[in-house]
Amino acid sequence: MRATIEVNGLRKRFGSTVALDGMSFTVRPGQVTGFVGPNGAGKSTTMRVVLGLDAADEGTALVGGRPYRSLRDPLSHVGALLDAAALQPSRTARNHLLWLAHSQGIGTRRVDEVIEQVGLGPAARRRAGGFSLGMRQRLGIAAALLGDPPVLMLDEPVNGLDPEGVVWMRGLLRSLAAEGRAVLVSSHLMSELEGTAAHVVVVGRGRVVADTSVAGLIEAASGRRVRVRTAARERAIAALARADVAVAADVGVASDVTVAGDVTVAGDGNDMLVVSGLPTERVVALLNANAVPFSEVAAHRATLEEAYMNLTGEVVEFRAAGTAAGREAAR
Amino acid sequence: MRRELHAEWTKLRTEPGTGPLLLAIVAVTVAVSAAACATVTCAPARCDHDAVRLGLAGVQAGQAAVAILAVLAICGEYGTGMIRTTLTAMPRRGAVLTAKAAVVTGLTLVAGTAAVLGSVLAGRLVLPGRGFTAAPLSLADGPTLRAVAGSVLYLALIALLSLGVGTAVRDSAAAAGVVLGLLYLSSILPYMVGDPDWQRLLWRLSPMNAGLAVQATTHLSSLPLSPWAGLGVLSAWAGAALLCGGLLLRRRDA
Repeated sequence: MRATIEVNGLRKRFGSTVALDGMSFTVRPGQVTGFVGPNGAGKSTTMRVVLGLDAADEGTALVGGRPYRSLRDPLSHVGALLDAAALQPSRTARNHLLWLAHSQGIGTRRVDEVIEQVGLGPAARRRAGGFSLGMRQRLGIAAALLGDPPVLMLDEPVNGLDPEGVVWMRGLLRSLAAEGRAVLVSSHLMSELEGTAAHVVVVGRGRVVADTSVAGLIEAASGRRVRVRTAARERAIAALARADVAVAADVGVASDVTVAGDVTVAGDGNDMLVVSGLPTERVVALLNANAVPFSEVAAHRATLEEAYMNLTGEVVEFRAAGTAAGREAAR
Repeated sequence: MRRELHAEWTKLRTEPGTGPLLLAIVAVTVAVSAAACATVTCAPARCDHDAVRLGLAGVQAGQAAVAILAVLAICGEYGTGMIRTTLTAMPRRGAVLTAKAAVVTGLTLVAGTAAVLGSVLAGRLVLPGRGFTAAPLSLADGPTLRAVAGSVLYLALIALLSLGVGTAVRDSAAAAGVVLGLLYLSSILPYMVGDPDWQRLLWRLSPMNAGLAVQATTHLSSLPLSPWAGLGVLSAWAGAALLCGGLLLRRRDA
């Protein structure tokens, strides 16, 4: 089967709350796709609809081209980790995986394999109720890998892991994608996906805000900005202002802002300026022509977190306002 | 369906609470049956007691353990959220409930048989000392055999009723309350109304009174329902509860 998740026009209301408002995206094989948005953006609901746990009011969700509920032995098609706590605490880790295996016609040997793969070997015969959140996440990953599925869908898998576990999880996600699987990983923290996800689906208020490659997203957020480190701030600002182009800077909390005509320069109160709209060479030339000393000029590269905040800032704001008028205004 | 059965069997088998509950079904039933037999004295001249019904009285207590076993089999999953793992692994919800019903009923039949036979044995040991005829509760006797087999079926139907209610209600405590309330309160309700017609109707509708008619071996003509018809009433309750639970399970978001 095709290793894809196709979500098309999902809508769902819980009472008066709109959980999904036309959610559409496709997860492709061979890469980790980040599924990012603030809490309450509809990530978990989307995943529950994909797994057939919740019914959407409208729209379709297909796994490998088929609705989840029509899959025979679904764990061999999709491995999912929705809620690491969703197990009976009195049962041992191994027995939890054992009943899951039996539900799919999978043998006992595979159970022991995945237990070793996630590093739970020594704890396999302990009750899962006594596990830390990190160990439960590992058990959840073991359950997701049980059927060796071409599609994986993990809700906040890094949650509760210790630093070593985070590194392990990132490596695992990358290697699963490298094997050609489609891997969808949700997170409310974009920084968790830095270096792991090649593609991101950013959601807010039940719909997709951006569906783009990580490289493209960062490029767009970086703009054509140049960071200038100089001890002579005033002279630098004056020199750049003379170029008669829009110069804006926003490093941290701007403590002083100079406006001259249509030129705006803001600094962070230290010796750093960020200039938009000018190529690096032009900045260097202007500074040199005016004999302004500087210690560093570099193209600014936005972090994934910055790019995400640019995208969702507005969405979160309207969510906080929480009014129908606000939602209308956003449309 | 085979995989659903296998999975549900593994689940129940590896749940530490299952063993103690099965033991409780047997222990409570036998203990209460023995106690009931020990508290009754039969005057040799005119012994009017139904020795079989007395010897199987523990079923009325043991059914509570059966109800808890069945309620926990489904509500335990809702309490922990494991139901979502279950329905992700087995999206055919009707098959999941059917498999659960089969597994829980199977275990109840085994424990129920042990409990009822243990009660018969206890009755045979205790009753002769209380003025009853020398060899009461003989399984060779037709009505006695019907009462014994019927009691095992009664416990199995209680399991199905409880599973259906548990699936519909989802919360363990609430479901156990509904089942035990339905059983015990409806069994005393007929005796709280004065009108004899209403009394008979309420008696016939009560799953416990009607169902336990299968234990009667004396004065059958004075019962509001025949033994098997009584068990039929309980079957209808169990079927309705399972149907209701099954429909809700299919309709609702997990």
